[in-house]
Amino acid sequence: MSLRERLPRGLGLREAGVYYALLLLVLGLAAVCAALGRPSYLSAVNLINIVYQASPVALMGVAMTVVLITGNFDLSVASVAALAAAVQILTVDTIGFWPALLLALAAAGAVGLLNGIMVQLVGINAFIVTLGTMTAVRGLVLIVTGGQSLMVRTPAALDAMTTFESGRAGPLPYPILYMAAFTALVWAVLRFTTLGRRVYAVGGNAEAARLCGISVPAYRIGAFVLSGLAAGFAGALYASRFGAMNPTALQGEELTVIAAAILGGTSLFGGAGSVLKTVAGALVLYTLTNGFNVLDLGANYQGLIEGTVLIGAAAIYTVGGRRGISFPRARARLPGRGSPPESPVDPARSA
Amino acid sequence: MPAVSANAPLLELERVAKVYPNGTAALSSVDLTVRAGTVHGLLGANGAGKSTLIRILCGAAPASGGQIRWRGERVSWSRPAQARAAGIATLHQQIPLVGTLSVLENVFLAERGGRRGGRALAARLRRLLAAIGYELDIEAAVATLRIGERQMVGILQALAADAALIVMDEPTASLAAAERRIVHRTVRRLAAEGRAVLLVSHFLDEVLALTDEITVLRDGAAVLTAATAAVDEAALAAAIVGRPVRPPRPSAAPAAARGGTIAEIVGLESPGRLAPCTFEVRAGEVLGIAGFLGSGRSELLHAIFGADGAARGEVRLCGRALARSPRGAVAAGVGLVPEDRQAQGLVPQLPLWQNLTLAHLGRFARLGLLARAGAERAAARQAIERLGIKAGGLETPVTELSGGNAQKVSLARWLCGPLRLLLLDEPTAGVDVGAKAEILRIVRELAAGGLAVVLVSSELAELTSVCDRILVMREGAIVAERAATDTDEEELVVLASGAASGRLAAGAEAP
Repeated sequence: MSLRERLPRGLGLREAGVYYALLLLVLGLAAVCAALGRPSYLSAVNLINIVYQASPVALMGVAMTVVLITGNFDLSVASVAALAAAVQILTVDTIGFWPALLLALAAAGAVGLLNGIMVQLVGINAFIVTLGTMTAVRGLVLIVTGGQSLMVRTPAALDAMTTFESGRAGPLPYPILYMAAFTALVWAVLRFTTLGRRVYAVGGNAEAARLCGISVPAYRIGAFVLSGLAAGFAGALYASRFGAMNPTALQGEELTVIAAAILGGTSLFGGAGSVLKTVAGALVLYTLTNGFNVLDLGANYQGLIEGTVLIGAAAIYTVGGRRGISFPRARARLPGRGSPPESPVDPARSA
Repeated sequence: MPAVSANAPLLELERVAKVYPNGTAALSSVDLTVRAGTVHGLLGANGAGKSTLIRILCGAAPASGGQIRWRGERVSWSRPAQARAAGIATLHQQIPLVGTLSVLENVFLAERGGRRGGRALAARLRRLLAAIGYELDIEAAVATLRIGERQMVGILQALAADAALIVMDEPTASLAAAERRIVHRTVRRLAAEGRAVLLVSHFLDEVLALTDEITVLRDGAAVLTAATAAVDEAALAAAIVGRPVRPPRPSAAPAAARGGTIAEIVGLESPGRLAPCTFEVRAGEVLGIAGFLGSGRSELLHAIFGADGAARGEVRLCGRALARSPRGAVAAGVGLVPEDRQAQGLVPQLPLWQNLTLAHLGRFARLGLLARAGAERAAARQAIERLGIKAGGLETPVTELSGGNAQKVSLARWLCGPLRLLLLDEPTAGVDVGAKAEILRIVRELAAGGLAVVLVSSELAELTSVCDRILVMREGAIVAERAATDTDEEELVVLASGAASGRLAAGAEAP
């Protein structure tokens, strides 16, 4: 976002690569479908379907991006989503839809808060903390479900959940709208508010942010809570879609969420990332899945291709990033303008 | 050059120069001869080129001019392994040890062979420890050791390598008195064994007591080489300081013109880092803090700023107690320009204008939340103009700025909001001469405008020319106070290095 004014750079492979990838992928699949004489890939139904399927992951990915921007990491999202789904299904029959939804979000937000406190105030590494909560919360889901599949029993509750998840505004299913609204909100906060600026500052250089009077722990814990809430909402969508869940629901989904953020070019070291690109990243992943179905390719290939795409994207960002950073640095070190001599290697001499 | 020892020269440097690719000439011409069986002291102010010289000696950076002879043969090392293999062990200031491994494993880190630890190595290490008269649990993980003990592990590493020349960079800077004595004893023992030691230190008394010969570096050149017996502290201090680079300017604000007290620091302390400090800073005054690296200068500034959670004591700003957090300090009008502008000052991912407004972002926002980019940019443009920051534009990444301009950004940030007390930590370190003078001029102007300024600097000439009053720190405590007009660089060197106080100084009183 900081480079918006430098349009040429903004359109570079590194800046906009994920959009190009999405475009290429969709066009490629459309071409293949047309060549094979299958129903049009670019039909509104199919495209909307892809976005609909990607919505929960995109939603969690947006919050994950904020966590990553602040310099942290959250592995617990899928377990938290499953917990929220379980809470909702278990309580919706007795307390009604909206209270159950709020309860589910509260449980999810509480796990996020716990993650944040353990990471930021106790000082344990985020990877370890969220690996722990990922495992423990999944265990909690098994306990509250008794290891059995859960189902919503009252028709009224089921109706409310169906409306919440399967309702449509024109051609668009509600989950797409939820995802779009959440993405727009987070994007706007990051882009236009002091809050967003400080989020980037905290991740970019925590010590500098602290010495500018910014409360670093508050921002980082806030990001974890946001991640928990988004996961809770995604879990509620899942529960509402089926009116039922089994205790292993969404297992492994956290990796898809993180993959979406990485495809979108979010730095694992903090300070940089865009929620719009994360959504594009999620769409790339679901377009791939969708493409396998449309082309009747075996699902066996899916993991291999997705993994390759992820590493390929990371390679582009890393190599592109190295270039993007090292060129200006090299320029800054021309005679008379440089920083103090600190580089251990001496490239100019060996050259 | 007086021959102190009949021993053949082990290491000879002749007109060694080092120009970095960015054009910085770190060394212009250094002649240095180290003989076996002697201790050679290397002195110089910060930035004189000591670190660069050490990097060349240990093979981390090749020299760009002159020649180096090792045991009479011309050498040109390009990798640290080559220097090590030749017999030079370097004890760096920040000792690169592996915290998770034991003392034993660290000492023999460079040793080849498949087995870790091993009884033979343990026995060797015990013999080494017995020989230098030091006790250490050799199975303890290095991360659990105190800083002084780690320093000793570094020394043991050098000893175990059986090096002919041991380069020690400030080996006692962070040590307690007892450990310091052990280091001193070890240095003497190494020389007695026929090895050579190149000892880099800020402590004049230590260098005078330990060395046979002394070389003083200034501005990248060796300006004095002498037998230790032939020099005294006064001569060394004069050589280190040299002719003042800039003629001292009379302070812009005479004491009478100063305003009321802005900041009162009462009994401010931080366990293990800062002894209780009490002083005040007045409006229009530039208060200098002199002292060597590790003397507690930065710690003092951080404690005032509320950035040190362990600090106790009181800071009053314009009579009101200051909240003990950076946030409270910033809100009350205190600004800190940290020592390391890249690591502590600037956010590399944010463009120039956002770095400038970061500390006072709330002022440029509707309801404190909705950022008004227009107002921010205007303020940033103003700051850029006021401080003469040279940058391509408001969007320029701060990583592309030169040292001086990056430093100005770090300073200009505080001018984007209310400011009453400005704390500057080495604001001119690593910037070129032009930018240096400009920054100091800005500091003076800000003070003239009614600000209270606390300026920490390793460059004593800078302190005596810019400040009104100077506090000298050593080992975490304020040990002396001088009016800038009543002191000179030589005296400050002596006070900060803790050398015999009566000889040159009027007497170092504790305030």
